[in-house]
Amino acid sequence: MITGGQSYVSAPPAFSADGRLLLVCSGRSVSVFSTSTGMLVSELEGHEGDVTAVVVVPPPASVAKLATYCWTAGLDGALIYWDFAAAELVRKVHVGLPVHSMVIPNITRTVKSTEVHTPLAFVSVEDTSKAADNKKALRGQVRIYDLTKGRQVGCLLAKTRKPEKIVASVSGEFLGIANKRQLYIWSVPTEGFKPEKIRKIKLSHTKNLTTLAFHPSERIVAGGDSTGRILVWRAFGKAKFSGTAGAADDDRDGVRGQDDADTCTTLHWHSSEVKFLKFASDGAYLFSGGMEGVIVVWHLDSGKRRYKPRLGSPLMFFVDSPDSSISCVSCTSNQVHLLKMPNMEVLKTISGIKLPIASPDLSRRDVCEFDCTNGLVAIPTEDYCIQFYSLFENTEVSEVQVCERNFQPVDDITMSISLVSLSIGGDFMCTVDVKLPEEELGGLITLKFWNHGSRAGQFHLSTIIYEPHSDAGISAVAFRPGKNMAVSSSFGGNFKVWVQSSSLQSSEGKSQSGWRCQSVGSYKKKPMTAAAFSGDGSVLAVAAESVITLWDPDNNALVGVIAEALSPITKLSFIGTSTYLMSLSQSSKPQVAVWNASNLSMQWSYTLSAEAACCSSSKSEFAVLSLLSCPGGTPAEQDGVILLFDAENSSPVSSFSVKKAKGGSIAFVKDDSSMDADTNATRGEEASLLVYVNGSHEYVIFDPRNNEVSQISKHTQKNIQADEPARIGYASIYGELPKLEPKKEVSDIPFIPSERPWETIFTGSSHVLPPLTKLCSAFLASLLEKRPVSNE
Amino acid sequence: MAADTSKPLFPAAPHTSLLPSHGNPNRVSPEASYWRNFRSSELVTASNYPVTHLTFSPAHAKPTLAAVSFAAVQLFTGDPLAPRPKISVTKDFVFSPSFRSDGALLAAGDIKGVVRVFRVDKPTSGPLRTLRAHSAETRVVRYPVAGGDKIHLITAGDDALLAYWDVPSETPVFTVPAAHRDYIRAGAPSPADHNLFVTGSYDHSVKLWDARTGKAPSLSFSHGAPVESALFLPSGGLLATAGGNMVKIWDVIGGGRLVHSVESHVKTVMALALGKMGTTGETRLLSAGSDGYVKSFDYGELKITHSMRYPKQLLSVACSPCGTVLVAGSSKGDIFVRRRKKATEEEDEKVVSGVFDWTSPKPEKQALKPSYYRYFSRGQNEKPKQGDFVIERPKKVKIAEHDKLLRKFRHKEALVSALAKNNPRSVVAVMEELVARRKLVRCIGNLDVDELGFLLEFLHRNATLPRYARLLLGVANKVLEMRAEDIRSDGKLRGYIRNLKRMVVEEIQIQHTLQGIQGMVSPMLALASR
Repeated sequence: MITGGQSYVSAPPAFSADGRLLLVCSGRSVSVFSTSTGMLVSELEGHEGDVTAVVVVPPPASVAKLATYCWTAGLDGALIYWDFAAAELVRKVHVGLPVHSMVIPNITRTVKSTEVHTPLAFVSVEDTSKAADNKKALRGQVRIYDLTKGRQVGCLLAKTRKPEKIVASVSGEFLGIANKRQLYIWSVPTEGFKPEKIRKIKLSHTKNLTTLAFHPSERIVAGGDSTGRILVWRAFGKAKFSGTAGAADDDRDGVRGQDDADTCTTLHWHSSEVKFLKFASDGAYLFSGGMEGVIVVWHLDSGKRRYKPRLGSPLMFFVDSPDSSISCVSCTSNQVHLLKMPNMEVLKTISGIKLPIASPDLSRRDVCEFDCTNGLVAIPTEDYCIQFYSLFENTEVSEVQVCERNFQPVDDITMSISLVSLSIGGDFMCTVDVKLPEEELGGLITLKFWNHGSRAGQFHLSTIIYEPHSDAGISAVAFRPGKNMAVSSSFGGNFKVWVQSSSLQSSEGKSQSGWRCQSVGSYKKKPMTAAAFSGDGSVLAVAAESVITLWDPDNNALVGVIAEALSPITKLSFIGTSTYLMSLSQSSKPQVAVWNASNLSMQWSYTLSAEAACCSSSKSEFAVLSLLSCPGGTPAEQDGVILLFDAENSSPVSSFSVKKAKGGSIAFVKDDSSMDADTNATRGEEASLLVYVNGSHEYVIFDPRNNEVSQISKHTQKNIQADEPARIGYASIYGELPKLEPKKEVSDIPFIPSERPWETIFTGSSHVLPPLTKLCSAFLASLLEKRPVSNE
Repeated sequence: MAADTSKPLFPAAPHTSLLPSHGNPNRVSPEASYWRNFRSSELVTASNYPVTHLTFSPAHAKPTLAAVSFAAVQLFTGDPLAPRPKISVTKDFVFSPSFRSDGALLAAGDIKGVVRVFRVDKPTSGPLRTLRAHSAETRVVRYPVAGGDKIHLITAGDDALLAYWDVPSETPVFTVPAAHRDYIRAGAPSPADHNLFVTGSYDHSVKLWDARTGKAPSLSFSHGAPVESALFLPSGGLLATAGGNMVKIWDVIGGGRLVHSVESHVKTVMALALGKMGTTGETRLLSAGSDGYVKSFDYGELKITHSMRYPKQLLSVACSPCGTVLVAGSSKGDIFVRRRKKATEEEDEKVVSGVFDWTSPKPEKQALKPSYYRYFSRGQNEKPKQGDFVIERPKKVKIAEHDKLLRKFRHKEALVSALAKNNPRSVVAVMEELVARRKLVRCIGNLDVDELGFLLEFLHRNATLPRYARLLLGVANKVLEMRAEDIRSDGKLRGYIRNLKRMVVEEIQIQHTLQGIQGMVSPMLALASR
């Protein structure tokens, strides 16, 4: 069983102390990436819930940069201490409640009159004892844990409605959370820590605050709110007594009420919620980002802005390395960009599987297409690309830009890729992108055919067809196995058969292959809702609402009509090479039906609300992902069940229960024969595995016929590579110095002319040497090769 | 080097992938910019007789020009050229002045066939020698250039007589009567050997002569048109002849093989000259035609590199040995001078040999000292050598005005700026982008009266183009629906609406016609497919 497709952007990542590794929370594990290559180095697996925080322990000064220890916190309520270079679990501390955020400031404590470095974790936990549906309940708690002893220290620092993200300053002196319209800041004594000494400061605002950041050296805190403003409070927490701070003096600019700060200034560029704030390590600049997908660099003194635009999707977190030469920014599109710092050039991008496009429109279906032979999945992304993701290796293969348009953060989707279709061998791709009209103006549907490039997942645009079915939407596109032919069916009541014509002569004389329409067919002007070719490509089945029509694709002749289903068919597929057809209806009267194409009759059917279905390419079996209508769960988190059927028999062969089935999809993929050749041989047939991709694009690959779970192992390990040690200090700037040989002792033995005089001829100090004119001839003569004269 | 993988900026453009790729617009070649760098002026000649010949002294440090005008040879010297006393020869036409290789003597023929030799430094003192053999006008008088031959002279004339003179004794070494079957109008000494020379005649033939064998030509070939001018290229192995509107390059060593033929002039090519480029030191073959053009021909690359236009018919052309002055003589007595603008002092003082070098000399590099400003900016314009690792400067992306405005979300301004540019492609692109942003309707609502006028005019012109019709007809409907009040109140806008109406009527007629045709065709197609 292979799992993959975890989100890399669920929590902020962390750099190792030398800045060479990046620790990214990915599902239940922490993935360690190399910042120089962007490749996965190792994975830390040990949590039983999603990892929510990773903190690299600042090394003690003596062993600087070599320490590779980190603490992680997870929703399973455990804090784990790792040696991440060796990927070893060192220690585990149990909190007992789901941890949502954790910081470990550098704090020393007086124990027996000596300063002892004490790792104290400030964790934000969720109090699960209170009911979730009670909106007023204070479910979030901030606690302190002594990590050496593994127990709680002091009392609760704060209680909030929901667990908030804790932010610590670089020095560890200040900690803060954004709670509703206030910033809670705790001033923590870094030396001689005692829980009683912690002082709390509150700063208020009129809007909900979302994030905050501390200045590295001064008493400045910046907070971002949900309307896009950034507030910068200067000299906070200077007051001696809480509550008395200058209520009388009115010269404090912009500070509200009795807040403990000198001034408060507002920076405004963002149009929506500020997602992250971060001060540069020298304190001169402030980085902010959010929905717009632009990193804004504020010069604090002048208020001037610089931008890093076109990062492709809304931003989530921003973390910089300890030496601040590299920073990384996490995007909602499940990407982590590594930026070279002063000029913010993207060095590498760590891409996870793209998340489904969030859309308020429930009728919009998420489209994934599987390349069964290569084990790829094609996912349309928010910025008009198609991502090809390798299922077996859990890495992004490539990204194909379908529409040339810049990403803009908008509330409603106006342009999207509505269909992706790949041919069986993966040689051709067809995409349909839809531009929705504005008050019936300027809507456009475009059909694009792509040719496969030299590498897997690389496609070149071959043909663009604007409005292939005039202004009617396209319901399905299918490629014919074994031939360069495709069919597109539209809701406008017709389907078109496209063929690739290679005789098209371009001006340069080389033959270009383009796709053109060969024939158009329609059945009683009914909307065509699905289309499929049979396994050998001889029959084309098109669903005209609830009727299945069978066509001869070459002559465009109607061969047969199969009687009606209960409701319009949304998916149609031939089962393997058999004569059975599987159809899916997803409207109010859901139905899964199997039809026999040879005698044009229904074989059997179920009333089953199916989310997706797929057919095996060789055998007569198919799988259906159906939703379980459980009363409690929200529609997004709906559980489902995968049923494996044989076409001959109406009772399912096997079933698997899965989570987050809404918006999920399934497919059969071919097993890599290289992985387990021996099992293939024993089975004597083509191994095909089932992939299930759930609603948040996490996936699992398993063998549906085999109960041994760990048959196939992940082979991401082959990518793991030990990169060379990074150069530090002088060598990182000027390169390696040549090794200086210790000076040879000039021996006092008399000079003997050797065969290789150039080794001895120039030794000695310059005032001892004979003049160069004399040395030169001897040196040149020594370089010439002496050859015995042989005249015959 | 890791490329920045963040997305490029996609400008608002429709269907970019289908557009043909455009090459770079032609830029001015370095050669053309060199020739354009010449400042033109005119020499004062008090006559309006044709300037049939122009020649520069090969040996003088300062350019010394000899020009014939009617009955006198005019000498100009210095930079800029200043007139010196005329050499009055006879009462009649003078032709073909020729400097001796050391520049001390000048020979010229006249219409009677008499050839006279003068001293250049004392032009008014009368002829030193008078050579009489020709009976008709002598259009070819040439001193040999190679080998420092100072005593011989080649003359040929319209009497088809060729004479090789021993100048001091005023006697011909040999004469060839009827050397050609027509007027001899072209002749040139070889720069490789002082015994060799060619003549070209109106009988189309070009003949190569060797003074050692005399009498019979060593080589003879036909140019194909009356030969007006002949010239050896600096190696002496290639010969250029001009006749008709063609210039032909011949390989003399290879037995008179035609190397290349240039047909760049519209009318007859009258004169040929060699021009040396001051910047690179390369030589070009200059040809002047009666169409008023001087063309520069790179005989290494075998292509025309530049052409210069003159206001009158040209009869002669010459370029000073150092390449700073280019003169052309017209049939109306004008001498057009083009001087290089930046003639540096060193170039003037440099003693220039009259012999053109075959290999182009490397331009000398002067050592830069830290006291110069240029010392600190040295090497900035260095071109990469082969094998150098070139780091490209990031290309500056040009962003159109409407793209800039779209980026700032100033939607109405973007639409107006695209409309003002009057490029339908970009207007439609902006409209499509606005639709994608759900802002087009609001933009239309916000346009003021003038901008609405722009939009209506644009719609009138483009709404029925099949490519844009689907969007633009919808837009036109929307505009009329939304802005009916404004349109009614403004007379100008009503005019646009009238135009729009007319266009719609025309379009409907076209559609009717097309439907009729379709009705006629479809039964035929149905029959054919049966």
